[in-house]
Amino acid sequence: MVRRRQSICRRLWSFGDVASLVCCRDSVRTICPQNICSLRAHMEGKYYSEEAEVDLRDPGRDYELYKYTCQELQRLMAEIQDLKSRGGKDVAVEIEDRRIQSCVHFMTLKKLNRLAHIRLKKGRDQTHEAKQKVDAYHLQLQNLLYEVMHLQKEITKCLEFKSKHEEIDLVSLEEFYKEAPPDISKAEVTMGDPHQQTLARLDWELEQRKRLAEKYRECLSNKEKILKEIEVKKEYLSSLQPRLNSIMQASLPVQEYLFMPFDQAHKQYETARHLPPPLYVLFVQATAYGQACAHMKSSQPPRQDKTLSVAIEGSVDEAKALFKPPEDSQDDESDSDAEEEQTTKRRRPTLGVQLDDKRKEMLKRHPLSVMLDLKCKDDSVLHLTFYYLMNLNIMTVKAKVTTATELITPISAGDLLSPDSVLSCLYPGDHGKKTPNPANQYQFDKVGILTLRDYVLDLGHPYLWVQKLGGLHFPKEQPQHTVIADHSLSASHMETTMKLLKTRVQSRLALHKQFASLEHGIVPVTSDCQYLFPAKVVSRLVKWVTIAHEDYMELHFTKDIVEAGLAGDTNLYYMALVERGTAKLQAAVVLNPGYSSIPPIFQLCLNWKGEKTNSNDDNIRAMESEVNVCYKELCGPRPSHQLLTNQLQRLCVLLDVYLETESHDDSVEGPKEFPQEKMCLRLFRGPSRMKPFKYNHPQGFFSHR
Amino acid sequence: MEVFQTLQRLHMTIFSQSVSPCGKFLAAGNNYGQIAVFSLSAALSSEAKEESKKPVVTFQAHDGPVYSMVSTDRHLLSAGDGEVKAWLWAEILKKGCKELWRRQPPYRTSLEVPEINALLLVPKENSLILAGGDCQLHAMDLETGAFTRALRGHTDYIHCLALRERSPEVLSGGEDGAVRLWDLRTAKEVQTIEVYKHEECSRPHNGRWIGCLATDSDWMVCGGGPALTLWHLRSSTPTTIFPMRAPQKHVTFYQDLILSAGQGRCVNQWQLSGELKAQVPGSSPGLLSLSLNQQPAAPECKVGPARGCGDPGRPVACG
Repeated sequence: MVRRRQSICRRLWSFGDVASLVCCRDSVRTICPQNICSLRAHMEGKYYSEEAEVDLRDPGRDYELYKYTCQELQRLMAEIQDLKSRGGKDVAVEIEDRRIQSCVHFMTLKKLNRLAHIRLKKGRDQTHEAKQKVDAYHLQLQNLLYEVMHLQKEITKCLEFKSKHEEIDLVSLEEFYKEAPPDISKAEVTMGDPHQQTLARLDWELEQRKRLAEKYRECLSNKEKILKEIEVKKEYLSSLQPRLNSIMQASLPVQEYLFMPFDQAHKQYETARHLPPPLYVLFVQATAYGQACAHMKSSQPPRQDKTLSVAIEGSVDEAKALFKPPEDSQDDESDSDAEEEQTTKRRRPTLGVQLDDKRKEMLKRHPLSVMLDLKCKDDSVLHLTFYYLMNLNIMTVKAKVTTATELITPISAGDLLSPDSVLSCLYPGDHGKKTPNPANQYQFDKVGILTLRDYVLDLGHPYLWVQKLGGLHFPKEQPQHTVIADHSLSASHMETTMKLLKTRVQSRLALHKQFASLEHGIVPVTSDCQYLFPAKVVSRLVKWVTIAHEDYMELHFTKDIVEAGLAGDTNLYYMALVERGTAKLQAAVVLNPGYSSIPPIFQLCLNWKGEKTNSNDDNIRAMESEVNVCYKELCGPRPSHQLLTNQLQRLCVLLDVYLETESHDDSVEGPKEFPQEKMCLRLFRGPSRMKPFKYNHPQGFFSHR
Repeated sequence: MEVFQTLQRLHMTIFSQSVSPCGKFLAAGNNYGQIAVFSLSAALSSEAKEESKKPVVTFQAHDGPVYSMVSTDRHLLSAGDGEVKAWLWAEILKKGCKELWRRQPPYRTSLEVPEINALLLVPKENSLILAGGDCQLHAMDLETGAFTRALRGHTDYIHCLALRERSPEVLSGGEDGAVRLWDLRTAKEVQTIEVYKHEECSRPHNGRWIGCLATDSDWMVCGGGPALTLWHLRSSTPTTIFPMRAPQKHVTFYQDLILSAGQGRCVNQWQLSGELKAQVPGSSPGLLSLSLNQQPAAPECKVGPARGCGDPGRPVACG
């Protein structure tokens, strides 16, 4: 309790309190602060009495008082000091006295201190207040300024505000007044007032837009309807397709009955799409030609008498497989590379096998091939199969002839219809043993193929006309990198080639038949060629055989023909032997593949009274001339298949004439071996003493040319 | 086409030839009735190429073979099947050359047109003698073109003619084996030599025909079926027989030699004594005619090949 009091007292103990008491009293007493506090508090409602005094006292005087007090204190202290230093008995009372005075001074100082503090505090408080006021005003000012700014901003915003209505393109004023109904335009109001005007215009705009939006909705709904209709129709059509297909299927028997195989043709066209370009060109042109030919024969009954039928053979899947998508093929490559590596590690394939494989690869054929069947009048058919060698970009053909009746092949006719040679030299010089594409040579060099000749039996012959039918043209002057198939080239050659092919087959078949007869020693002369020869021909054909090309070249009486370059290796060679009595006439015959437009060439050697050939007997030469040069008379009716047989018959006649007109050697006894039976005007004529070899019909005598 | 043309060429026979008056060209007639003119200067020059050996111009002259040709100083006369045609040498090199005239001697038979095997110019009378298949000699005046005489006597067709200049007599040799001499003025046969009857020269296995004749006034050489023989005309005796097996088709006197050609490749040069002086090979297996280029520029002998490859054969230097 005492402690609490003391603490309170200390706090409340202020110099001012004490000082006021001291001013009122002259003695220092320990006053119970509690009493003072309550006293003061009751008195003035202030904590310190100095607070009230401070307003009354003058700070200047207080300052003076402070200075005086300080001086007094210093003086007293100095006196105390002196006294203490002097010492004595009464000193203590003086000291005490001075001490009490100094205490009083201390209390004055304290009071002054308190005053000062209070003044300070007051001052501070005043300043503070003022500051606060100023601050408040400042704040107000700030606020107002801020508000002003804000308002200004707002104003500018408002001023800048573009109403959306300005973005709308309103119709121009005149239009507006024209079109808008009066209850919207309200002309009398709006004319004067732009605001109202704009409002009216906006109203009108709104009105219009509403209307258009209506329309738009209508149109949309229309469109929807129509789309739905389209959908329905589409479905209807798509359901039609399978129905049509089924009709087509059902019509197949009818088609066959009427010989109009549309379906078949359609299928063919489908397959044709997978053909490589040259084969496709060939297919298209050949089909077109076949149809054109069929149409031209208008006298024929509606069933198409097809002389040319085209078909596609081979595997379509394989053809499709050739065109793999790039990623797959790349994968395949990498796989195959890996595989290859593995196999080479395990077991190296021999170089030969590798080369062989490469060769096979180079000579690979496209899996599809086009087959052409040419039917001739006598029902024999030439089957042509066309292949395309992909890497070499050439086409080859394999040929086969089938006849209506089984053919018994005479020995000498072996080569006539053999697939290897039946189409040789269809056009002069086109022997089909060499590749027509000059670029192939480089490819061949890489894989060690010398010439295509070794492979033609297997691959077919790459004749030039085959390339032309496929539209492939390999110009010699400017070798081109890529030769593409050309339809016009094919079309321009198609007719000629087909005709040539037919002629070739027919002439070969005719020869075939003739050879069969010739081998039996009978020269088959048809009745319409009989007029070329006299009725009685005594010389007989006893032998007709084939001889090899080399053998022909070795004969001594064929040198002229060989030297003249007419005995190439594409020709067929035969030996005929005509006999009469002791006279034997050998005839070496060169048969050009282009028979019968190119005549066979005869070279004669007569063994009778010595050996006579064209080098030592002018008459033998004349006989050769009769048969070789004057062959046009012997052609017979078109297509002149009788040429060879007529030539042979004429040879027999010539031998007859020669032998019978030989002048009789007077020194030799005995009759002539061959009495003259032929009627001749003159036996010899001209400086070379020619015999009369020309037969005149119908008089039946012989004369000179 | 090519094959046919090659065959034609292989079977071509050149029967007659004639050198142009200027000596620069050679005309040859073949069995197809064509006449081809070659340029001798080009073909025989040192820079001759294959092309220059081909004919300069070829044209169809007759329907039948051209068996004989002879040149006057301006014309080329050619005869074949029954008629004689004349061509101008100056025009002959131009394309589309047409004959100047053609004449046909009066023939007796009409069944067959006889050929004219030999032409002979008689410069003194300016006439042409034709002989051939109708066994007669016809004389034609070159100026008027009229046929003045017809000399008959041969029994078979006439092969060759020769002129004996001094007394204008014509010798003719024929298929019947006789050489007959005719006097032109009297138009009568003066002398007949039947060669085959003489054993020394007859060769029955060849026949009796006389293929070639040449005369040098007193002397005559003839050959053919019988052996090539030199005759003394006045005595009608064979003096030299030339040992040539093959029948000769053409013979001519040249300087002091006798040139003959026939079966076999060569042109034979004989001395009068009967010795073979030289044999000059040609390119064809048989020879039918010889012609001498008398121009001083190049006295060469041309050989007419029986085979026609287009080249006029090789020149033979004589002497």
